[in-house]
Amino acid sequence: MKRTLLVMVSLLFGSGVCGSAEVSTFHAYVDSDLCARLMLGPVTPSRIECSQKTFKEGSNPVLVRLLDNTVFAVNKEKMVKDLVGRLAEVSGEAKVKSGTIKLQSVKPEEESSIPQGDPARLLLDVRTYRTKGSEATYEKVRHELAMMPYITTYDFISFSMVGNNVILSGWTVRETNRSEAYNRVKSIEAVEQVVNNIEVLPLGRTDMQIRAGARGRLQKLLSRYFWGSGSDIKIVVKNGNIILLGSVTKKEDSDIAYIQCSTVPFAFHVFNMLRVQEPAGKDKS
Amino acid sequence: MRRGAGIIFCRGMGEEMNKSYDIVLKTVASCLALVFLAVTTGCSEATKPTAVEPAVKRIAAGQQFSGFLKDYSALKPNPNLEGDVLTYVSTDAQKNLRSYLAIVIDPIEVYVATDADEGKISEAARKALTTYFDHALKNAVSDAFPVVETAGPLTLRLRAALVGVDVGGEVAAGDLPPDIKPFERALNIGKLGVEMELVDSETGERIAAVVDRTNLGAGAEVGAEQFSRLEKFAAAREAFDEWASRLRIFLDSAHELTGEDAARADKSYRPYGAESASK
Repeated sequence: MKRTLLVMVSLLFGSGVCGSAEVSTFHAYVDSDLCARLMLGPVTPSRIECSQKTFKEGSNPVLVRLLDNTVFAVNKEKMVKDLVGRLAEVSGEAKVKSGTIKLQSVKPEEESSIPQGDPARLLLDVRTYRTKGSEATYEKVRHELAMMPYITTYDFISFSMVGNNVILSGWTVRETNRSEAYNRVKSIEAVEQVVNNIEVLPLGRTDMQIRAGARGRLQKLLSRYFWGSGSDIKIVVKNGNIILLGSVTKKEDSDIAYIQCSTVPFAFHVFNMLRVQEPAGKDKS
Repeated sequence: MRRGAGIIFCRGMGEEMNKSYDIVLKTVASCLALVFLAVTTGCSEATKPTAVEPAVKRIAAGQQFSGFLKDYSALKPNPNLEGDVLTYVSTDAQKNLRSYLAIVIDPIEVYVATDADEGKISEAARKALTTYFDHALKNAVSDAFPVVETAGPLTLRLRAALVGVDVGGEVAAGDLPPDIKPFERALNIGKLGVEMELVDSETGERIAAVVDRTNLGAGAEVGAEQFSRLEKFAAAREAFDEWASRLRIFLDSAHELTGEDAARADKSYRPYGAESASK
């Protein structure tokens, strides 16, 4: 009995010490996981629409800390699910490295309640993003990320720039991609700070089957978008959901990709985020 | 009366029927249970990973290779790797190293030298080598190819063998710290090399292979189970780490984007982000 008590006390103590993270309070945008990792930047009407739509379709709610655009997965989705597409003041134990937060309180708020001059407010402004002066740096960052050797059809890394600060986001199945993306971008001379929101996806058996199934179907019908070491179409699979990313040259191809992926066994939902890009190189959507 | 008799008869018949129904049900249930047991036992046998430790094997006399790999003919020297290394990598557009995301590592096999007295190689000594090499391999590849327990889609199987283990000299207990028990006979690893193969974990199709014959030279030995912690056997530990690290370099070089592939990857990559959000 004594021993059991001792074990329990030491376990409690141990977990308290090891799992300790400072409680912090910050302004956040309540987003869907999908939009948070693809549309980091100002909170515009199109982003709000993206957040609400993809959340309804099954993408998990997450918090984006306005101070630096760090994405946090939350332990209690119930606390934030009604606030998707809105701003909130949240407090909890945030762990930046793992991108998680143990929520304690969530209070909805309006943009006007964030004081003028607060860095969080600055990040809500469209003008803060992609200033013309950083165009060359943007291209360097893009090129470095494009040349990463372990990026496959199943990974997608995206980024945004705030001045010379880079916010990395997206999903990968390999730990090495997360760290290499950070190191490559950090080593670019003009880059000042790098926020790493790249999520490393678990390799569950069902998700692996979905990946293989989706690739098999797409490669059969849309083979021109796949080549030996890569592809124009990216298939991100997370918890049974398929996110189609990248670009195709025709709207019909985007539709074919969506329909094909919808028939993959065990897949819950397909988010079709494919861009239709004319061969000349101009985006249509 | 007739009605009552009828009722009794019917009841009796009903009871009889219930009884036989019960018997039938019980028989069917037991049969189903047996079938279920047989199926689940069969299934669990079928899905169990091959946990049987491979026995020590011997390199056939006069052979250049151990015979661990099914085919050595496609192996070529690799300019990206230092040392005496031969490699093969599939260039099939559908099935090459880039088509896989994870890896399952098979128990490592040991091949003793042709003239070695395998009776003098203890199980503990064999296990010390394979355990350390398994650990070194996992360390070297896991951030690029997460190591998983079971075979499956998009998963490679790594088969590896330590080739050329020989019997070394006797280990004097005084040479080691008092808490470490030496092997009766050390293992001579001076001519040790490794042979490795990456195959599709579901079909067994070969995707890549590496034969690394860069060895330590005469005098290299392993004399205790915890050899990796002892300075005396540091050279052995470093050799295992080197072999594992060369496998990683090989995997990295096979993933490197070059020529047309690099140009296409560069052209294809367009991040999403603030630009998209503001549209």
